[in-house]
Amino acid sequence: MNMLNVHNLGVAFGAVQPLSGVSFSVGKGETLGIVGESGSGKSLTAMSVMGLLPLIGGRITAGTVEFDGQDLTKLPERAYRKLRGGRIGLITQNPMTSLDPLKKIGPQVDDVAILHLGMTATQARARTEEILGTLRIPEPALICERYPHQMSGGMKQRIVIAMALAADPDVLIADEPTTALDVTVQAQIIRLLDDLVKQRNLALVLITHDMSVVAQTCDKVVVMYAGRAVEYGPVGAIFEHPRHPYTQALIACIPRGLADTARLSGIAGTVPTVMNYPKGCPFHPRCARAEPICATDPPELSINGDTGAACHFAEMPHAQPA
Amino acid sequence: MPNLLEVRNLSKRFSSGGGAFRKARSMHAVNGVSFDLPQSRVIGVVGESGCGKSTLARLILRLIEPSGGTVAFDGDDLLAKTPAQMRKLRARMQMVFQDPYSAIDPRYTIRRAVAEPFEVQGVTPDRSMKDEVDALLEMVGLNPGLASSYPHQISGGQKQRVGIARALALRPSLLVLDEPTASLDVSVQAQIIGLLEDLRADLGLTYLFISHDLSLVKYFCDEILVMYLGRVVEALPDTSAPARHPYTRTLMESTFEPDPKKRRLIAPLEGEVPSPFDLPPGCAFADRCPNASALCRHETPVLKAESGHSVACHHPI
Repeated sequence: MNMLNVHNLGVAFGAVQPLSGVSFSVGKGETLGIVGESGSGKSLTAMSVMGLLPLIGGRITAGTVEFDGQDLTKLPERAYRKLRGGRIGLITQNPMTSLDPLKKIGPQVDDVAILHLGMTATQARARTEEILGTLRIPEPALICERYPHQMSGGMKQRIVIAMALAADPDVLIADEPTTALDVTVQAQIIRLLDDLVKQRNLALVLITHDMSVVAQTCDKVVVMYAGRAVEYGPVGAIFEHPRHPYTQALIACIPRGLADTARLSGIAGTVPTVMNYPKGCPFHPRCARAEPICATDPPELSINGDTGAACHFAEMPHAQPA
Repeated sequence: MPNLLEVRNLSKRFSSGGGAFRKARSMHAVNGVSFDLPQSRVIGVVGESGCGKSTLARLILRLIEPSGGTVAFDGDDLLAKTPAQMRKLRARMQMVFQDPYSAIDPRYTIRRAVAEPFEVQGVTPDRSMKDEVDALLEMVGLNPGLASSYPHQISGGQKQRVGIARALALRPSLLVLDEPTASLDVSVQAQIIGLLEDLRADLGLTYLFISHDLSLVKYFCDEILVMYLGRVVEALPDTSAPARHPYTRTLMESTFEPDPKKRRLIAPLEGEVPSPFDLPPGCAFADRCPNASALCRHETPVLKAESGHSVACHHPI
């Protein structure tokens, strides 16, 4: 069953429309990757699902965000507050955006269970220590007495994950959870998230710029470019038969190790900013496949089984990435 | 090929704190690093944050003074040079920085930024300065029409190209590249890496490439030095050499491949990098190492070579 269903989401800030036509769904025990370069709208998508847009002056102008059968776009703030940090958890790139620097770790994590599950302080502390233990944090009771500044980045990120788990969420949104971490610590956190999805039957939305992380962890993928979902599908299809030229080019940008000696070529030009999104297909100025129609008409999503690609030529065979 | 760079036992000790209430603490950011960089080769230095890789880059160009050891550039002992001699030599050894935003003066036009090395060194190009700057911009794949722009008007990738043009202005033989693509999007990273490959082939450049990204280093470099907490723990003679140090193996296993068919169950390394101020005796990796023995906890292993492949470990794989 799909826990989270986002359909044709559009977001505007005044007259600026940084996000449009974003759709995806994620079920229990499933990991969905949202991948794209900076400015592609990944984090904005997370903010929209969390109902945090009003905070930064944005609003949802189109589409629906369905959580467990309920449309969140019509939800009043009071009810949203119950869900947020409760049944829908968020992990951000910088753990310090979620941690209070002046408060010990224990009380910070306890608060979640007290607020969302109505536990007493003693029950909540027992729960906190148990969760810290399952996250392979050594000596949970001792950690509860520490302040955030006494911990390393990887440890702080685990605490934030513990805070999200304390409310027993159904959906976890992880926005670049490992970007600020070293590779060996990244591997630890990714393994942890993977285990949680399996053990707790979580629906995980993993937002990342790193195609290697997607390949390692995700079941399904949405590729975003310039505020649009340009391609979606199961991870195998995305990597083996990408149908959008941007997806192909993005995959070709990653060094693939020794077996592959193909030269990295990159994608000519730069990612457009929201103030200068191109007309027609947003990728056409950088696309090797572009034809005159791409500069004028925005492509429809061409759906084929469980995959979709927003490209005028998605049905035609493209040159496969090197 | 002769060695362009010979680094011997290079060390840098920093101290911090120290005052009325606190004892000064010191750390070895770089500890006894030795290697040779032959002409036209590319050596990659890889390691996690705090391993000393950027300090090593700065020591080699003598942007900071080492606490010990020697650096020979083209047979010349750099540490014996006076500041004036050093300035002359720097025309031949240049650095490209990680952050292109702070590497260029925001009040300079691109033209002035690229011409700056000539002014600093008091060099007059053979052709007019305008032609020279235009040629340099073209060499790094920028339209000379951008020359009148200011840094805030161009993208991060373009700024990094300007950084490379500045570094190339005086025709250096050695470029030290300190995470040149770490702040860029992957599509732009691939462009810059492609450009650096072309420049190396066209100009016969020698690179020292500093990065935290092992897959990028494997792609780009001929040899790899793996650093952990200030020391080189392994020197791989080529990019296909199997890891012999447990830390290198961990790094390799922690690096994901962009292919869902090559997923693997990660057996995460426990613990994190210890504070460099407070290093355990013996091998710095011992606390996280699955193969560690009592010997590792009191005797620091030295880098030993075996048919060109060096490893600093009591129990190499």
